[in-house]
Amino acid sequence: MEYIVETKHLTKKFGKEEAVSNLEMKIPKGEIYGFLGPNGAGKTTTIRMLLGLMRPTSGSVQLFGKDMKNNRIDILKNIGSLVENPSYYPHLTAKENLEASRKILNVPKKRIDEVLQQVRLHGVANKKVKGFSLGMKQRLGIAAAMLHQPELLILDEPTNGLDPSGIIEMRQLIQSLPEEYGMTVLISSHLLSEIDQMATRVGVVSKGKMIFQDSIETMRKFAQASIQVKVNDNEAAWRSLLANGQKADLEKESVTLQAEDDGQVAASIRYLVQQGFSIYRVQEEKRSLENIFLEMTKEEQSG
Amino acid sequence: MVSVINSEWYKLRKSKVIFLLFVAPLIGLFIGLSGSFNAIGAMNEWYEKLVVMNSTYAILFLPLISGVLASVICRYEHQEGGWKQLLALPVTRGKVFLSKYLLLILLMLAMQLMYLVSIYLVGMIEGITDPFPMDIVWKSIFGGWVATLPLIALQLWVSIAFKSFAAPFAINVIFTLPTILVINSERFGPYYPWGQPFLMMNIGGSTEDVFFVPWDQILTVVGGSFLLFFIGGYLYFLKKAI
Repeated sequence: MEYIVETKHLTKKFGKEEAVSNLEMKIPKGEIYGFLGPNGAGKTTTIRMLLGLMRPTSGSVQLFGKDMKNNRIDILKNIGSLVENPSYYPHLTAKENLEASRKILNVPKKRIDEVLQQVRLHGVANKKVKGFSLGMKQRLGIAAAMLHQPELLILDEPTNGLDPSGIIEMRQLIQSLPEEYGMTVLISSHLLSEIDQMATRVGVVSKGKMIFQDSIETMRKFAQASIQVKVNDNEAAWRSLLANGQKADLEKESVTLQAEDDGQVAASIRYLVQQGFSIYRVQEEKRSLENIFLEMTKEEQSG
Repeated sequence: MVSVINSEWYKLRKSKVIFLLFVAPLIGLFIGLSGSFNAIGAMNEWYEKLVVMNSTYAILFLPLISGVLASVICRYEHQEGGWKQLLALPVTRGKVFLSKYLLLILLMLAMQLMYLVSIYLVGMIEGITDPFPMDIVWKSIFGGWVATLPLIALQLWVSIAFKSFAAPFAINVIFTLPTILVINSERFGPYYPWGQPFLMMNIGGSTEDVFFVPWDQILTVVGGSFLLFFIGGYLYFLKKAI
């Protein structure tokens, strides 16, 4: 598979503390990659290394199949980024801010109006950014990141400080990018719900380590509801289910069925009844993605 | 490279601090007009004006204004994550540093030329009839500019290192004020970076050389400190974690 972003054994130490350790990030082309983790997990540090703003202590960063160390300028020509808080020059207007970047990026002047239109800032193009709300600054940052139509867009917490309608607009904009421009997007967030609604791939980072990296569907599978059955003799019921070739787990006061669809559930229950077990309760337990995320990061922290 | 300088100039131009450039030449103009110092008894009236104007201008305003400009050119980068945004663009850090430095020295050259205009204006207003000592004035103008090159490199370094606007300014003031004492010292005067502009601008040194300061001193002190400060600041910026 062709990876736009690929890090190998990426490690960054601040003194003795490992902010990022042995991180292997893989982002295929055209994906919206949700980079998820609690605050202080090493997301921004990783992103800074992806942009060459910071040198890794060890390990390598490869973007578009090129090594960051030797091809920084070539690589950055194809990246647009918004790191942490929006960056801007307060003494300049929205338009002038983009002009300062445009001069370096060498793109046509009309791109400025186009991106301002895209993030709906064209109405305040000639106002000083000093007076902008956080949401407007954030949108300006995204406009600046898209100025040169990069192949890879790196957005660090892009919905920070946006109001609900702003978040929805932003989400729609980001979701349209891979289709319309063939962009690959890396979005970091500490909010799973945010990523869940946009991303096609997810990487979960905790304490500097990548603890999960796969498609969002795989992650959602973890969240599938499980069926708990409470019977008069849980252990015997569990054994007889297993003997019958049905997947089940024994819990303290119940048996959990690992069923993939309703038919399997029905078959398991029918079997238990036929075997003469008294069934007290059959209940569904839903695990939200949020719970899974919390469990993942908790295990890492206690371990 | 040109595009980076262009962008730097654009950002600075919009900050309006550029008017600072007029301050020093204007003050020079007023000082030149305010007093008459016939006591020196020089053969050419221009010399009197030059001696008086140069001392205030070169000791105080030249190093102060260059320091303020160096701070300003870094201030808007420090303020709201400008460094991050700038360095995530396809530019090398070396080019960014060099662009900022080149822009600063060009601005200082412009200020020197405006100061030259002030000198001339003073003479016109006062009705000095002696011939304009062109060669001496050029020596002073360009010599002063050359002497600020290492100073600006140092000021840029300090301005990049400190996030606050006040810190580099305070450091600059602290080192500028003693200049008047230090330049009178035979031992330390020639080596004090803040004193170089005055020593180079002050007329009356040896007139045979290209500048008012002997070549070997220029090469060792100005050239040496330039290399030291420029390379130091350059490497610091390359390594700095943003």
